[in-house]
Amino acid sequence: MKRRTFLKGAGVALLLPRMESLGQVSETDSPRRLLTIVNHLSFYQPELIPKADGAFEKTPPLLGELSDHLDHLKVFSGMDNPAVQNGFGHTPCVGILSGYFNKLHRRNRLSIDQAVADLIGDDTRFKSLVFQAGENLNFSQISWDKHGLPVKQIDSPRRIFNLLFQVDENEKAQQQVLAEDRSILDAVLAQARSMEKRLNATDRAKMDEYLTSVREVEQTVKRRAYWADRTRPHVNYEIEDFDRKSVDEYVGTLLDLAVLALETDSTRAVTVQIPFWEGFKEPDLSGNYHDLSHHGQKPEKIEKLLMLEHAILRRINASLSTMKERTVGNSSLFDQTTTLITASMGSANSHNFDDLPALVIDGRMKTTGHWRKKEAPMSNLYLGLLQLFGAEHDRFGESTGAFEVLS
Amino acid sequence: MMRLLCAMLLVGFLLPSTLRAEPKLKQFFIRNCVDCHGPERQKGKVRLDKPVDALLADYELLETIVALIEAGEMPPEEAPQPTTEAVAEVVQLLQKQILTQRPVNPLKRLTRAEYTNTMRDLFGVDFDFTGLLPPDHVERGFDKFGETQLMSPHYLMAYLKTARFIAQRVLPDVKPRTRTWEFDVRHFHGSKNFATGGGGDYRDGDDYVLTGFRPYRSNLHFSIDPDSHDQFVIPAFGVYRLEVKAHSEKSNEGEIIGINLGDGRHPTSFRMIRRIPMKHGSKGFTTELTLKAGDMLAFTFDSARVPGRSLEKKPHKGPAMRFSRMKVTGPLTEQWPTAAMQAILPKPNMKPRELVDHIALLLTQRPLLAEDRKAFVEIARTQEKSGASMTATARSVLIALLTSPHFIYKSESPELTDVERAHRLSYFLWNSAPDADLLEAARSGVLGEDPSAQVERMLKDVRAARFIDDFTRQWLQLDKVDDFGPDVRVFKNVRRMTVDSMEREGRELFRHLLESNLSMEHFIDSDFVMVNDRLARFYGLSAVDGDAFVPVKLPSESERGGLVAQAGFLKLTSTDFATSPIQRGSWILKNLYNERIEPPADVLINEPDIRGTTTVREAILKHQQLESCSRCHAKIDPLGFALEYYDPVGRKRSEYRHVDELPAELEETTFTKKLRITTMPIEATMTLPNGREVRDLPSLKAALMADKERILKGIIGKLISYAHGREVTGADRPHIDAVFASIAQEDFSLRAAIHAIVAHPAFGRK
Repeated sequence: MKRRTFLKGAGVALLLPRMESLGQVSETDSPRRLLTIVNHLSFYQPELIPKADGAFEKTPPLLGELSDHLDHLKVFSGMDNPAVQNGFGHTPCVGILSGYFNKLHRRNRLSIDQAVADLIGDDTRFKSLVFQAGENLNFSQISWDKHGLPVKQIDSPRRIFNLLFQVDENEKAQQQVLAEDRSILDAVLAQARSMEKRLNATDRAKMDEYLTSVREVEQTVKRRAYWADRTRPHVNYEIEDFDRKSVDEYVGTLLDLAVLALETDSTRAVTVQIPFWEGFKEPDLSGNYHDLSHHGQKPEKIEKLLMLEHAILRRINASLSTMKERTVGNSSLFDQTTTLITASMGSANSHNFDDLPALVIDGRMKTTGHWRKKEAPMSNLYLGLLQLFGAEHDRFGESTGAFEVLS
Repeated sequence: MMRLLCAMLLVGFLLPSTLRAEPKLKQFFIRNCVDCHGPERQKGKVRLDKPVDALLADYELLETIVALIEAGEMPPEEAPQPTTEAVAEVVQLLQKQILTQRPVNPLKRLTRAEYTNTMRDLFGVDFDFTGLLPPDHVERGFDKFGETQLMSPHYLMAYLKTARFIAQRVLPDVKPRTRTWEFDVRHFHGSKNFATGGGGDYRDGDDYVLTGFRPYRSNLHFSIDPDSHDQFVIPAFGVYRLEVKAHSEKSNEGEIIGINLGDGRHPTSFRMIRRIPMKHGSKGFTTELTLKAGDMLAFTFDSARVPGRSLEKKPHKGPAMRFSRMKVTGPLTEQWPTAAMQAILPKPNMKPRELVDHIALLLTQRPLLAEDRKAFVEIARTQEKSGASMTATARSVLIALLTSPHFIYKSESPELTDVERAHRLSYFLWNSAPDADLLEAARSGVLGEDPSAQVERMLKDVRAARFIDDFTRQWLQLDKVDDFGPDVRVFKNVRRMTVDSMEREGRELFRHLLESNLSMEHFIDSDFVMVNDRLARFYGLSAVDGDAFVPVKLPSESERGGLVAQAGFLKLTSTDFATSPIQRGSWILKNLYNERIEPPADVLINEPDIRGTTTVREAILKHQQLESCSRCHAKIDPLGFALEYYDPVGRKRSEYRHVDELPAELEETTFTKKLRITTMPIEATMTLPNGREVRDLPSLKAALMADKERILKGIIGKLISYAHGREVTGADRPHIDAVFASIAQEDFSLRAAIHAIVAHPAFGRK
């Protein structure tokens, strides 16, 4: 009731019928979702990628961690990121989800998770959520919006949880700000309209850009006001203060939160980046993850590195299984979700930015197995994914075609 | 209305002359052009067999035709040539046509720099809107061009947020409490405490020492609690005074400390906000900074840093900076209520309409029209009714007005009004809003009649430094000097502050010419350079003391002097390992000649990799053989090749050093990748389209000097286009020619050029 008056008062009655249904998935519905997982430091590929092309026969040990989902899984390997020309250290990794990155240009920097979120993110509290395990450093930014600007990657599990499920302490102040925003937008819109009348044709075209922008921002503010007025979903999940060091604790928590975000329909696109820089390790391991990734082909270092990679994939496997158990609308969360697991480098040991692997998991997949895509741009996979979500694009990043993901 | 009538009359008057011109042009085109640009062939996708009035309407095409015919580039050499008289006549006819078309100058919004400076001058607050306002996008020319300025929901949201940020800070409800924090070695932390770092900095007795050893890591930050590593966080927005006791050792020159914001435990999130040059023997420094809540302070030892990563495994022997104590005081309030509060709310009780009118006038010096005012008054009224304080009401109005087109767009009538002219002038020379003095001069009509006194006053004002910064940064692309490398494995000993000094040289030359009333010819060549201590050493000149730039006379054998001999230019046109003659040549054409050079849109450019080939010239010369490329590359390549004796960081070289990065061997990691360096001879000699041979830097400068008129006019064009916020076109020729003619009497003085630009009637047109 309160919401209705609020919206009416704001003169947006037209918006109401559509928004009325937001916030819960109806029993007959089965919305599409995307879970993107990026492992910055990649995987030790000899243990991940099957030797042979085609259907899985012998699964390498790392891939074996996902054994519960092999009947819905495709492995792509050997892909290129043609965008990476100049870069230093880890910097080129910022372009992994864009399939294009040139630090001098902002156009075309849109990342695949955001491209998909633009298609499926209208009806939820958050268009997308991007989680960053580990400190967000300037080369860990992987999510870019359509303006080429960085999307906030949240690194604290506590903050993610609060964002999703806790009442915002500043909510009252926030609502006041939103109300003020709306009257300000009204005022500037009126002034722009009145000013526009006095302008010549070229100037009017400029003012039109302003007017269009105001109207779009109005929609955003309305959407925020709408959601600010609704209580957040309640979940039975306790988030504990933990030692950030272990895969189970840190990656596990982030993946749990990702699944919860999807399950409560808080968003339909979640991106998780696995930590890589600060001391991320298992309690019984010496050496941290980044250090181990520069294994120099030393067997004892590779062995330790593999312990971490196994732990990461085991956690992903567990989350995928959880998604099979949870029902939202008329199907399981797993059925609704396309999962992309990828890596920013072919090998973190030598900082090789080509030879990239990607795993796609989708309940609708007809054939499974391994596809070696030697030197095909990573963007071809992204374009294939984008088209799965109903995009009419025929290009993404540096794509030269689109992979068939489901067939 | 009167103006409109005049314009119509003008068109009516010009029409017959166009008609008279038509047959002549048609004849010329048929005779000289249509073979290649007609029904049979459409070279360059251009057809000139269309009706002449259609051609004349295509403004850009017209400009290209005139430029090419005039330069003798069309018809091409191998084709039969029209007589000089025929060319002159056609050029004149076309030129006349161009002059009738006033270039479009679409509505411009304030750039981030303009916005920041305007706030600084209106409210006396040194805001930094990095992270709030998006950076302005410059594809070519200047960020002041209305045509290329973007407006999007993202921008609008940023304006709204920035406005709220400003309003909350200039109109606080209560006076902030000033506090003091003192830090000594017990509260100091460096990278040694950082989990994965360590090495280059350490505690030594009562001091904490920074060295250049691990350049990415080495920093000093502070905690309030000696036992915790939680960094000291600035509690509230305001001005903070930093008093720092520090000195350098193992150094015999001035050193430089960088002040950074961000989490010192993760130095990659740093943002440099200020560099403090410390004179040799200095015992510390005091500085004031405007900081916001949440900012965290850290110091870096910038003059010791080497760009890229340090590969040194040996203990560090270079200079060190010892920090003993720091005292932070703030936020400082000089008076209460602040000047900004008094400016925004001069009286305790203002009626909604009065308040809106007052703030609108304060922000733009233009009254808000009654029809535009209503919605803003409504905001004030609603606030008033809800019982909000006067300050809160003023805040809301301020946010709304700062977000409105009234503030963020610059108003310009076809013939600028006096106030608009004052705005154009002040955004030109101060990159900010006009002050009371300038507005007074505008309103009294003095500015329109003779602006020289105001221009002189403005150039002497400290605010002129903003023009020098902003103009040279964009004109010379100084912000791109550090975009690439150099790779420390090849260019050892090129230190961070050397690169930083390179970035400043072009600006300093401009400043010196402007301040000392010197000739613009010095941009082409000069017998002195502007250097500081580090750059003097880099160039191998006699020692200069300190970080400030001073003119130093060049020894007679030196090739330096002029923009094209500056290391900054030579570096910004190179990549990590290799120089790019094409980049260098096109930079000269674009920025000195003010030519429009653009890579053809439909051609995928694969610049020949001159590192990998033994036939550097052959690879690039291919451009000149392909017809589609040759028109531009015949001009570009000789200019660039003449500079091949200067390496990617602008040092003289006698041979190419071709660098291969070898793949990591099995037992190695990326950090041990090896480089293979092979050398190749340089062959730089080429012939310019005008037949003149250039073979090295001195002969290139001689060739440029021979083209002095074109280059100086090019630079004048750059200044005009910066001032007007649009590309200069053929229609600006009278303006440029008049400025050139006037400064020719005054030894081509840069200062005189600026006076002449402003004094010309064209300065008062949209």
